[in-house]
Amino acid sequence: MTAFALLFTLSAIGTSETVYLVRKRIASEQPVCLIGEDCTLVLTSRYNKLFIIPNDVLGLLFYIAVSFIAGFLVIGIEPLAFWAFVFKLSVAIGALISLFFTYLQWRVIRAWCFWCLMSAFTIWLMEGIILISSFI
Amino acid sequence: MKKSSFHILRVGLAITFLWIGILIFKNPEAWGGYLEPWAVGLLPIPLSEAMIGTAIIDIIIGALLLTDTLIWLAALAGAIHLVIVLAVSGITDITVRDIGLLAGLIAIIADSLPQTIQNKIVFMKTRKPEYQGRSPEHN
Repeated sequence: MTAFALLFTLSAIGTSETVYLVRKRIASEQPVCLIGEDCTLVLTSRYNKLFIIPNDVLGLLFYIAVSFIAGFLVIGIEPLAFWAFVFKLSVAIGALISLFFTYLQWRVIRAWCFWCLMSAFTIWLMEGIILISSFI
Repeated sequence: MKKSSFHILRVGLAITFLWIGILIFKNPEAWGGYLEPWAVGLLPIPLSEAMIGTAIIDIIIGALLLTDTLIWLAALAGAIHLVIVLAVSGITDITVRDIGLLAGLIAIIADSLPQTIQNKIVFMKTRKPEYQGRSPEHN
């Protein structure tokens, strides 16, 4: 229960962050870059889409799906084993994709984006919580 | 309110409402136990159904706050909801938390009210400086 509370909180934070980025992109406005000045450089780079879908939209869909599944698991909507499997698989895939995007920022684009890093750390933290809770 | 502090408060309250909604869905009867007997007697529908309705309202309020949509309306609904919770659950050890949440929601309402509504509320009207067109030093 504690793990799900933390996972739900993190996915909600991710949702609010990606909603902000999607809105800024639709309005053609630059997002506030809290740390550094390279957010726009990364967000407008040629790597800002995956399979023609903008990364912010993919992130938003991911966080919404994960929030719903966490909710299903807490409420106890069957089949629980299936939801738990989908949840763990989604976060693991998300963590790997975040690793790839962080590599792109580091080595290819050579610029850091605060929002992208925040999202990556959010997903890695979720993966860490899943791993730790499976050992407890 | 400073922009960043507003958003931190908004997201924090959104998570609280969403999570409470999920927990009520999980066990509506247990959460219904917090209601005073007189309040339960006033319900026109079974307690568990009323609590599921509460959970849906909580989740809608949380989702609106989280996605930065109709913020003032969501915060107003949340504040009214919390006042009702305070009224029907009586004064308990956890009342103080609801007061904190209520204060946060009122702060969000005050900060996100549309200008047209703000202008109708006397104490929130922006006072026009009397020295318009001249520097303040000349007054």
